[in-house]
Amino acid sequence: MRLAFWLYEGTALHGISRVTNSMKGVHTVFHAPQGDDYITATYTMLERTPDFPKLSISVVRGQDLARGTSRLPGTIEQVQEHYKPELIVVAPSCSTALLQEDLTQMARHSGVPADKIMVYAVNPFRVSENEAAEGLFTELVKRYAAECPKTEKPSVNLLGFTSLGFHLRANLTSLRRMLTTLGVEVNVTAPWGAGIEDLKKLPAAWLNIAPYREIGSLAAGYLKDTFGMPAVTEAPIGVLATTRWLNTIIEEINKIAAERGVPPIAMPEMRKFSLDGQSAPSGVPWFARTADMESFSNKRAFVFGDATQVVGIVKFLKDELGMKIIGAGTYLARQADWVRSQLEGYLPGELMVTDKFQEVAQFIEEEMPELVCGTQMERHSCRKLDAPCMVISPPTHIENHLLGYYPFFGFDGSDVIADRVYTSAKLGLEKHLIDFFGDAGLEYEEPQAAEAASTGTDSAPVAEVPVPAGAAAPAPSSSGEMSWSDEAEKMLNKVPFFVRKKVRKNTENFAREIGEPTISAEVFRKAKEHLGG
Amino acid sequence: MMPVSSDCQILKEDNVTHSFCGLACVGWLYQKIKDSFFLILGTHTCAHFLQNALGMMIFAKPRFGVALIEEADLAREEPKLEEIIAEIKRDHNPSVIFLLSSCTPEVMKVDFKGLAHLLSSDETPVLFVPASGLVFNFTQAEDSVLQALVPYCPEAPAGDRKVVFVGSVNDSTADDLRAEAEELGIQVGGFLPESRFDRLPAIGPDTVLAPIQPYLSRVCSRLNRERGSQVLTSLFPFGPDGTRAFWEDLAAMFGKTVDLADREKAAWEKIEKQRALLRGKKIFLTADTMMELPLARFLKHAGADVVECSSSYINKKFHARELEALDGVRVVEQPNFHRQLEEVKRTRPDMIVTSLMTANPFVGNGFIVKWSMEFTLMSIHSWSGVFTLANLFVSPLLRRESLPEFDESVWLEGVMPSAK
Repeated sequence: MRLAFWLYEGTALHGISRVTNSMKGVHTVFHAPQGDDYITATYTMLERTPDFPKLSISVVRGQDLARGTSRLPGTIEQVQEHYKPELIVVAPSCSTALLQEDLTQMARHSGVPADKIMVYAVNPFRVSENEAAEGLFTELVKRYAAECPKTEKPSVNLLGFTSLGFHLRANLTSLRRMLTTLGVEVNVTAPWGAGIEDLKKLPAAWLNIAPYREIGSLAAGYLKDTFGMPAVTEAPIGVLATTRWLNTIIEEINKIAAERGVPPIAMPEMRKFSLDGQSAPSGVPWFARTADMESFSNKRAFVFGDATQVVGIVKFLKDELGMKIIGAGTYLARQADWVRSQLEGYLPGELMVTDKFQEVAQFIEEEMPELVCGTQMERHSCRKLDAPCMVISPPTHIENHLLGYYPFFGFDGSDVIADRVYTSAKLGLEKHLIDFFGDAGLEYEEPQAAEAASTGTDSAPVAEVPVPAGAAAPAPSSSGEMSWSDEAEKMLNKVPFFVRKKVRKNTENFAREIGEPTISAEVFRKAKEHLGG
Repeated sequence: MMPVSSDCQILKEDNVTHSFCGLACVGWLYQKIKDSFFLILGTHTCAHFLQNALGMMIFAKPRFGVALIEEADLAREEPKLEEIIAEIKRDHNPSVIFLLSSCTPEVMKVDFKGLAHLLSSDETPVLFVPASGLVFNFTQAEDSVLQALVPYCPEAPAGDRKVVFVGSVNDSTADDLRAEAEELGIQVGGFLPESRFDRLPAIGPDTVLAPIQPYLSRVCSRLNRERGSQVLTSLFPFGPDGTRAFWEDLAAMFGKTVDLADREKAAWEKIEKQRALLRGKKIFLTADTMMELPLARFLKHAGADVVECSSSYINKKFHARELEALDGVRVVEQPNFHRQLEEVKRTRPDMIVTSLMTANPFVGNGFIVKWSMEFTLMSIHSWSGVFTLANLFVSPLLRRESLPEFDESVWLEGVMPSAK
């Protein structure tokens, strides 16, 4: 047992409802106590769904347990009567899973035909959001996908696009734009917007595209084994990966075209992929070569998140922006081996695998990377530490559901990511100036960051109120253990503010090593010498 | 006091609602009781609920957390919380730790009372708070928290005639209520809860308990039983009507006859513009925060036509005056949401007061909506809250009028994947 304050992954029920909320004609019934359908609020408030999510709760009360009554059959009847879904997915919550009831038997008492009900009972203590979503989606594909004639024209299925996915709509738009340019049709997108009929005709496509390691790749594997459908599973994150992705699709389509005796497709001119059809599809390759971006060669980046995003972003930062990767990690332990294999040769050390945000924060504090790519939680940790951070991975947050077009996939996505890197990290010329002049008039940023870190809730970003230099607060708590002389403190203040905390810590460690109880100007100078400036 | 009729008609359904469980109360109580820590013995679900639905993102050191029951813990006899308690004491040094139950340990039949007793020390009591969704909805677990505090309220001696307000409100609302009481010549014993555990009010046989939130029936009847305190039966102090009745009835319990008719009239006049907008409007309240009865009563008195008022828990004795004032309104306890949806589509109300989970979908279906949770977070009590209360209802109506025409077929296209 441990004390948890915040978790990266949601529950199995969350994963299940993400799949069913994506679909047409499918309704989930939670067999659960009051409140376990809180997830509904994430759809209605984050995705702002204009209709009721297809999710009902069959409330289990303490007194029902005492009396041995179950409301499940009645709820299923009500759902059938009011919403007439094609399929009802019944799932227990963590507490009702312990009751070890026979939900299939209970559901049968509703009188709703068995082929319209699917009991999906995973162990919620073992299975989390992504695994449950992946599992349910695969089950649905297995249940409905049926042999059918291939489409006349080259076509693909887009698998794994799921409600509350990270920048999902924009990613989908980006991929659809590129497929249209290629002259490839989309047969079915699933689960996002798909109905049962769509699942049935999945095998009509020539090819499956399943870019998310977390959801969809298992279903793509099943369709490959059962219907011989090839799958493209790489996520097109960055220009290199996107180009590779396009070439793979062309290659696979043309293999089938040859078998079917239809003309092959060819790579269009690259400008056709741009938004106006008349320019480079992405600004990244030129941007990376410009003179002021040279400073990126020395920038130390740390990447943390789910599996798909971490692999894509690490490769993009290193291969395309020429940054230095000092570490990477994932909160998805079951994907850790895959991430390791994908990132072989990219990481200086072990892949960090943890679902404890405190451990990630500690790494960031120790290393003070010049760019952190993480989840919303790393954004918070970095604010506290005054480290530059951009959000690249779920869990999703209201700020990942903006109205504008901000894909992470495709050429369009490459530009979005590069822009975020650029605006998050300290810039080239600006950095030189700061290094040269020390605080360079930017002194006010520090106390304000420390205050922001102590705020309690997060409905909106903390207001950015600059504090004038004269009003600088006393040194933050990191100095609590050791006292600094005024002179040493002054010297520390001449160090650029964004490395000041690290220098403070390193100096104190050095002083401890040499047995100095306080930091005098002399100790500080010694430390500087010892630590190499 | 007015006579109480108990034969009011309440329809009771099967509680298929979209609302939160009792753990939701942590959201405001940890902020209210500033030297406390709220420890939930629960699962991933509980933690995910708090961080997601309540939008609580953790910075630095929050004063609540989940002792996470993982698979290996299911086989254990009793949960071992000693280390976690030590960690909390080390990091937060709270004056009190509330140990909240949740569904899974209740199904596991964890002996919470024994557990809390075991973990408790004189310096840092650990108090058991039943809060699980097997029993409690949304605001209801505040009742459990207050009950847990009862043994720590000093005994007030007989003859000590003071009012203790029951229910958590922010400090400025508390100041207003205190000043108002003192102006009426009523001595104030304090609030349950106060903003610190070590400042709990004294409660005794001559204490008058004035509930200021409508979901706290159990702690009031318990204090009545255990300490012989009298419980004010009145309207809750929301709106000019409720506020007048509340203070007049409270004064009466202190042997004072007070006529606040002029004050009520002035308060209604102050919100005449809002009333004009509400007059004749059909309003529907789905069950969520358990503030529905007094809100509906205010709306009715403001001239609105309350189509249906539903609430997860209605106590005929505790809510007697509100129910009486709602005479003629359809009141439903533990409503069925599916039925309500059909009803709403049939009666086409002008406004729906509903939960976070259903607010936007109702808007998408062409209705004007006020989300009910806002009423738990705004200062709407007593005279000073009248304006805010009226505006909360009126602002969605005004806003809708100020926005341009909306063509659903254009602007909702593809917004929701599962839409028809």
